[in-house]
Amino acid sequence: MPVIRDIPISLKTKEVLRRVGFREQASLRPEIKSLIDELLAGAKNDFLLEPAIAYGIYPLTEMNRGRLPLEDNGVIHDPLLPSLLSGADEFAVVICTIGHRLEKQVTNYFKQDEPLRGVLLDGIGSAAVDLLAEEACKLMTERASSRGYQAGSPISPGMQGLPITEQRWLFKMAPAQKIGVGLTSSGVMSPLKSTSMIIGIGPQMKTWTRAEVCAQCGLRKTCPYRKGVKGEKQKRGKISKKSPIVHPC
Amino acid sequence: MAKDLVNTLADLKEKEALGIVQERLSAGEDPLRILDDARRGVEIVGKRFSDEEYFIPDLVYSGEILKQITDMVKPKLTKAAEVKRLGKVIVGTVAGDIHDIGKDIVVFMLDVNGFEVFDLGIDVPVQKFVDKIKETGSGVVGLSGFLTLAFQSMKDTVGAIEKAGLRNEVKIMIGGGQIDDQVRSFTGADAYGKDAMDAVKLAKGWIGG
Ligand code: B12
Repeated sequence: MPVIRDIPISLKTKEVLRRVGFREQASLRPEIKSLIDELLAGAKNDFLLEPAIAYGIYPLTEMNRGRLPLEDNGVIHDPLLPSLLSGADEFAVVICTIGHRLEKQVTNYFKQDEPLRGVLLDGIGSAAVDLLAEEACKLMTERASSRGYQAGSPISPGMQGLPITEQRWLFKMAPAQKIGVGLTSSGVMSPLKSTSMIIGIGPQMKTWTRAEVCAQCGLRKTCPYRKGVKGEKQKRGKISKKSPIVHPC
Repeated sequence: MAKDLVNTLADLKEKEALGIVQERLSAGEDPLRILDDARRGVEIVGKRFSDEEYFIPDLVYSGEILKQITDMVKPKLTKAAEVKRLGKVIVGTVAGDIHDIGKDIVVFMLDVNGFEVFDLGIDVPVQKFVDKIKETGSGVVGLSGFLTLAFQSMKDTVGAIEKAGLRNEVKIMIGGGQIDDQVRSFTGADAYGKDAMDAVKLAKGWIGG
């Protein structure tokens, strides 16, 4: 089960802004913009981002009525899986993290009475996880296409239909401990800035954009972090062929 | 003059706001009046945040400015006029959940708005909330949680507070990305808040005079 490190993460201010709930109608204060730039540079110089991906690929032998049988006699339950993974011959289990360092620095900022820095750096961390998840999806797409296959868009525990508790199965199928990711008894990953996904691989796979996932989410009306708020509205509701990206948050 | 500080802070002009405070202090003005204006400025920031004109970092920025002003004003206060804390609030992320940033912002905004806050951290066992209420006599408890599984933990926490015979002594508010009135009703909390300013408003309404 492979592990990948040294993944280049280069973030733009815009991506960070989404993660700190920037609103379309708001104007960006120059002090905040320059603080984001400073923190982005600092994250790089101080090596606060330690991106790593762990994954495993398995044949999809049998799948019916929302059950995905796994090795070890485990079963993932999700009523939506058959439709989301339809056409898949294989599936990848992927876990990504940016490590603990950034989170620790966020905590330090709050302790040192610098919460603005804390909030912005936290946003940088979440945006970095997004980018890492996209990189992981691209990697799966490349691997798949080298064999004439396609990779579908990812499905993450915690999304509608796939409870967070199912996370425990994913942890048996990707070497999470090798990249320092642990699972609490309630199914939360530590470091917090981590994400997990299942990706279908087959001759023809469905893909969807983050804006489409947001459009399905119960929080879509109120979530300040939703995608598709600015410049992406036109994409909502359509299935996009080109983009493999997605994370549920 | 008084209006200036309110609006300058509301417009998040940090240097100018601090300059006005310095001038007013040098002119021998009542420090409590200055602080009162600063708090009114932050209230306007809260309103602009609710109207989606400002975003979270703006809100936190206003809190940082208010904190600096409080620090400038404090040494000028006579013992009798010391900045009075509005009341005690306990805040924590409930058992099973480890999301901290939303809770941290709530703690900070409650603190700069004049509350004495006891931050219990993340993944807080129900008994810890009960013990802290007994120890501090806080009148408000804020429960934070971002995951669906936190709903049950919130309910359990409210239940434990009730079982300890403390339910009538405290008001309980809950918050976190997915929280709405349905969740509030499930957990038995008194109110829910969408953001840190809601937490301040709720606490003020209950114990803030
Ligand atoms: C950013 C984010 C992430 C980030 C990291 C989170 C972090 N904070 O570090 C990343 C991308 C890494 C991530 C990962 C995951 N996430 Co996520 N994430 C979010 C998101 C978008 C925001 C959470 C957040 O921290 N916001 C920051 C704070 C500042 O936001 P805020 O809500 O505005 O905060 C205010 C209020 O909540 C309020 N408040 C907070 N507490 C309190 C308390 C009181 C008393 C009051 C009055 C108010 C109050 O005041 C705050 C300040 O104004 C939420 C969706 C959402 N809208 O909440 C999903 C969400 C929490 N994630 C979700 C999921 C599923 C996951 C993953 C499990 C997905 C996966 N399989 O990989 C992982 C789990 C990670 C792990 N470690 O286990 C789901 C959880 C659903 C569930 N079943 O429980 C959510 C709800 C998304 C969704 N649409 O379904 N996530």
